Amino acid sequence: MDFSGLTDTPEQAELRTAVRGFLASAPENPWKRLTGELGLTALAVPESLGGADATLAEVMVAVEETGRVLAPVPYLPTALAAAILAEAGVEDFVPGLADGTLTAALALGPGVTTFSGDADGGKLSGTVRNVLDGPEADVFLVRVAGALVAVRAADAAVTPVETLDQTRGQALVRFTGAPAVRVGDGDFADRAEGLLWTALAAESAAAAAQCLSRCVEYLKTRVQFGRPIGEFQALKHRCADLAAELESAWMTAHAAVRAALSDPEEFAIAAPLAKRYCADAFFRAAAEMIQLHGGIGFTWEHDAHRYLKRAKSTQLLHGTPAELRTLIARRAGLLPA
Amino acid sequence: MESSLNEFRSEVRSWLNENLSGEFAHLIGMGGPGREHELVGERLEWERRLGSGGWIGLGWPEADGGRGLSWEHQVIFYSEYARAGGPGRVGHIGEQLLGPTLLAHGTPEQKARFLPGILNGTEMWCQGYSEPDAGSDLANVRTRAGLRDGQWHIDGQKVWTSLAHHADWCFVIARTEPGSSRHKGLSYLLVPMKQDGIEVRPIVQLTGTSEFNEVFFDDAVTDSSHVVGEPGEGWKVAMGTLAVERGVSTFGQQLGFQREFDAVLAAARENGAIDDPAVSARLTDAWTGLRVLRYTAEGTLGAADPGGAANIAKLLWANWHRDLGELAVDVLGPDATVADPGYDLSDEQRLFLFTRADTIYGGSNEIQRNVIAERLLGLPRGR
Repeated sequence: MDFSGLTDTPEQAELRTAVRGFLASAPENPWKRLTGELGLTALAVPESLGGADATLAEVMVAVEETGRVLAPVPYLPTALAAAILAEAGVEDFVPGLADGTLTAALALGPGVTTFSGDADGGKLSGTVRNVLDGPEADVFLVRVAGALVAVRAADAAVTPVETLDQTRGQALVRFTGAPAVRVGDGDFADRAEGLLWTALAAESAAAAAQCLSRCVEYLKTRVQFGRPIGEFQALKHRCADLAAELESAWMTAHAAVRAALSDPEEFAIAAPLAKRYCADAFFRAAAEMIQLHGGIGFTWEHDAHRYLKRAKSTQLLHGTPAELRTLIARRAGLLPA
Repeated sequence: MESSLNEFRSEVRSWLNENLSGEFAHLIGMGGPGREHELVGERLEWERRLGSGGWIGLGWPEADGGRGLSWEHQVIFYSEYARAGGPGRVGHIGEQLLGPTLLAHGTPEQKARFLPGILNGTEMWCQGYSEPDAGSDLANVRTRAGLRDGQWHIDGQKVWTSLAHHADWCFVIARTEPGSSRHKGLSYLLVPMKQDGIEVRPIVQLTGTSEFNEVFFDDAVTDSSHVVGEPGEGWKVAMGTLAVERGVSTFGQQLGFQREFDAVLAAARENGAIDDPAVSARLTDAWTGLRVLRYTAEGTLGAADPGGAANIAKLLWANWHRDLGELAVDVLGPDATVADPGYDLSDEQRLFLFTRADTIYGGSNEIQRNVIAERLLGLPRGR
């Protein structure tokens, strides 16, 4: 299932085809080639800093395609960090992130960090858990009270942790008076978090669409009772419900992308809403993938479990469904702020 | 483009301001889904007012009497209409179903005869598709018609016909080739309603009111020229009508949904139900669901390839609306179990009951799922 035809510009469709084709070729050293050859982390970086001068919408296309196949590359945080730093006008790290020699991780959730310093820099202390793609990162973007700061991994204590979802690593990161560069104020940190929600939504919508595609292919070829099981209405209807949910998830993620580019007020709602809606849809798609594949879907050998674990982890990190629901209710004025 | 759209919006606004007032002021908010029986006479007048203002057939070609406006313009019209609380349309079956069918398949004579009545709001239409044995299985048509002495003679029964007792004409699918079956041998006939051979009987629904009717044809007649497309090719023509049973009016529909949601929210605040976290969670989910409907409609409307989008949209909004109906009465609690004398239902009760129809009419949820599975996903048809 692929809903990109509903949203892509011709240039985005071309980019998507290139990334998808490249990932399908099972490349060796994919990170080096995704960044160097295809220049994907440089998409939303200005030309003056070694970038391609495209927009976040193009970054999201690449996020979707790497997410669709759960590519084991730190694309999402690195490309986003490059875009966020460039948007803030902070040049530190940007050329390295843009050419892929550096990777980043985003520690934007609630942490226990303190920051003392000014516009020129300062010292960061505290601990952040569940930092996605943290073990390999060279740079951390960290949210502190009233600011967003950047810190070199070399100045932090990074402990990799074993994760339920083995497609994306996590680290426990400790900062003890680490030198930090100020990137932006609290509002800017909110925007960075919104962009992360948007990217997770887009990634989830794409990975969910892949789950449905895999189910449909299986139902067309798996024969029981003398017929492809896709003829059975009980299974068809589950796929149809999923298709409806996933098309709306795709559109919701893309509404957040559009808002990120042009409508800050709408973005404040659309970003958390998209993260919650798309991560939930992804989880249902992955759960259905296991059920519709029957026994084979329960094996380690089949990759349905990788999608299930990725989906659940995405749901629970950077705002659980319940937390985001409350946030949305407040931002929408349904509940007192 | 942007400025022309803004101008158009203010044109629509000021026209509605001026006209949805005075004699028509009491129509505001009337006659929506589940309330089709309200003030029909006045709403028929309102259709003529809309027609004389040039607000019917906005997207139709100018050569056929329309205004040739883009879908962006139409979205603005429907949105402003909903925002102003414009009454439920009585002429929508002619404008949105028959009109586009005639534009696609009608002869020049048919267009000249029937389009002006729709555009002026002077001739009302109803749809004669469903039959007692042809609901989801629409091709199982039993109503038959034969050509004698320059006229089609029609015998049979249609059901779930909205507004039949107010309509001047009905578009009917009838079997015109004796012995044919399924999709073959059907014709698409235009039949005058005001004649001895037609009897209309209202169906009392679970709301206690009647939006729908049974229509009995007992040697009803229509002129031999009133067949759209070739005789025997009626299925193809009818499917075209179903394909247009959606479109830009979606945005107006969603503003109506928003108003309904706002009323439920206000009720929850007033009686304190919102203080229950389970209720506030459901309210937030309903609000979120409506946003998602909007994002989905916005995304699919302008897109080049909305394959299957119509079926997905129907499934999504029907489920959302039904759930809102349940939430509306749940918010009221015990109060929702009591009706006013004469089974006069509250808005919440009406919403709760009438939305049971949403997941059935215009292709039931199950039919939508079959279509999505087979056409969009390419799953094999059962044997």
